[in-house]
Amino acid sequence: MLRLEDVTVRFGGLTALKDVSFAMGAGEILGLVGPNGAGKTTLFNTISGLVRPKTGRILFAEREIGRLPLHARARLGLGRTFQIPQPMHHLTVRENLTVAQVFGAGKADAARVDEILEVMELSQHAERNAATELALQELKRLEIAKALATNPKLLLLDEVLAGLESKAKRRFVDKLRELHERYKLAIVIVEHDIETISTLCSRAVVLNFGQMIADGTPAEVFRNPAVVESYTGAADA
Amino acid sequence: MRSLPALLILAVAIAVPIAFGGNSYVMGLMVSGLIVAGVALAWALLGNLGGMVSFGHAAFFGVGAYTSAILSAKFGLPVPLALLAGACGAALCSVVMLPALRLSGPYFALAILAYAHIFKILATEATSITGGSAGFQRFPPLPTILGLDLSSRVGSYGLLVILVAICAAIYLAVKRSHVGTALRAMAESEDATRVVGVNATLLKAWMLLLSAFITGLFGAMNAHIINFLEPDYAFSASWSILPIIAAIFGGYRTILGPVAGAVLIYLFDQIVAKELLPVGHEILLGVLLAGMILIAPNGLFGMFQRKTAKGAAHAAA
Repeated sequence: MLRLEDVTVRFGGLTALKDVSFAMGAGEILGLVGPNGAGKTTLFNTISGLVRPKTGRILFAEREIGRLPLHARARLGLGRTFQIPQPMHHLTVRENLTVAQVFGAGKADAARVDEILEVMELSQHAERNAATELALQELKRLEIAKALATNPKLLLLDEVLAGLESKAKRRFVDKLRELHERYKLAIVIVEHDIETISTLCSRAVVLNFGQMIADGTPAEVFRNPAVVESYTGAADA
Repeated sequence: MRSLPALLILAVAIAVPIAFGGNSYVMGLMVSGLIVAGVALAWALLGNLGGMVSFGHAAFFGVGAYTSAILSAKFGLPVPLALLAGACGAALCSVVMLPALRLSGPYFALAILAYAHIFKILATEATSITGGSAGFQRFPPLPTILGLDLSSRVGSYGLLVILVAICAAIYLAVKRSHVGTALRAMAESEDATRVVGVNATLLKAWMLLLSAFITGLFGAMNAHIINFLEPDYAFSASWSILPIIAAIFGGYRTILGPVAGAVLIYLFDQIVAKELLPVGHEILLGVLLAGMILIAPNGLFGMFQRKTAKGAAHAAA
């Protein structure tokens, strides 16, 4: 489904990602973890097309997408959310989904928009202005709803659970499982909470200072001394 | 209630030739006002839907004018087809400006201003085709169709009213389409629209082409109405500045605002400003625009729409 081969990203003299390589299969849920500044969002930006890699290859559904523009990747089935929600301004919630559907999936289907609104518990907000009349958690659900409207095969979720208290977080994790089953999605999720990664993901990849330092099951990577050190600053901490 | 401004404008448009049909001075002013209205509508389409501020619409106006005049005079193309060719020529000229779409804000505005100047120089230097600074004349006027002499003041006026109405309808159709919805969102959230599959650059390019096409059409119309062209006139900065003032005065985020703004601004300039200040009368337009921005930043029609919306909300409560 997705394969990265030696992806390196530089911003001037700063190397944000260095030789990152991993692959994931269809239907897999992958956790992307690492301390702040590890390069997780940069990796999302690189996969989705906001940032061009200096070197390396990105393959999505066996197709090289490293030189494709952002919109073309979305049309291939690559959906993403932003850490800070980015609703489309001046549009209602329903219009946000309709635009995503028409341009991302290539057709207007009002019934499917209604279904996504229902699934993401946004039906009662459908006619509200997305940028000015939604609370933060509703905006986060809208981020996912927009991505779903493009009919994605792979969903990149950037800290969608941040700021949720534990009960709400568990509900949201259940929702993500439901989406995974219902829409046969592969998911990459950036998340700091070890418990969430352990319960939701079958696999985790850890970044630190732009380099991949671990790849395995959540249990394996969170026991990895290099991962522990990256979070605590000491291998024996 | 929402269609009241449109009905009002339609009533005025019908009343003008009935009341002033025999007064060639007033009809001449209205014809020129409608030319500016067409360009202001095209400018507002690019500004409102495309999110781009252009200072170079004079290029589209001039190219449309010269293309139509040259094709009808030198190649014998019937005037209606020449008008269409003028509009297409302006759209084609906007294609070379597409690289400027990579820029935004003042950088785009400056780049398109520079492009406009290049076209003016080309028209001046290509003397064998355009007649250069000496000007270009002896091209056919607007024809007579179904017994209606379109080259007469009333005929030109009627044709221009129809063309402005058609262009406004096209603008409305684009604005209400999915493309219009995406363009509305793009102005403030371009990454959010691109990430769901919207090809922002392509949509902007279409808006630039459409805006250039409409401007070229009115440039061509103007050429066949006045029957004389010279680069300093056809590519005059006035064709860029006056539509901007008109669109902002009328409310560039509305469709009818630029149309009404253009006619009002043009009449004010010709009847009041020139009388008060024969030299430098444009200063008064600036004062008028500044006053409007201070009183109603959304322009005349923006203010009207807000009052209508408030009234509707009050009635609903």
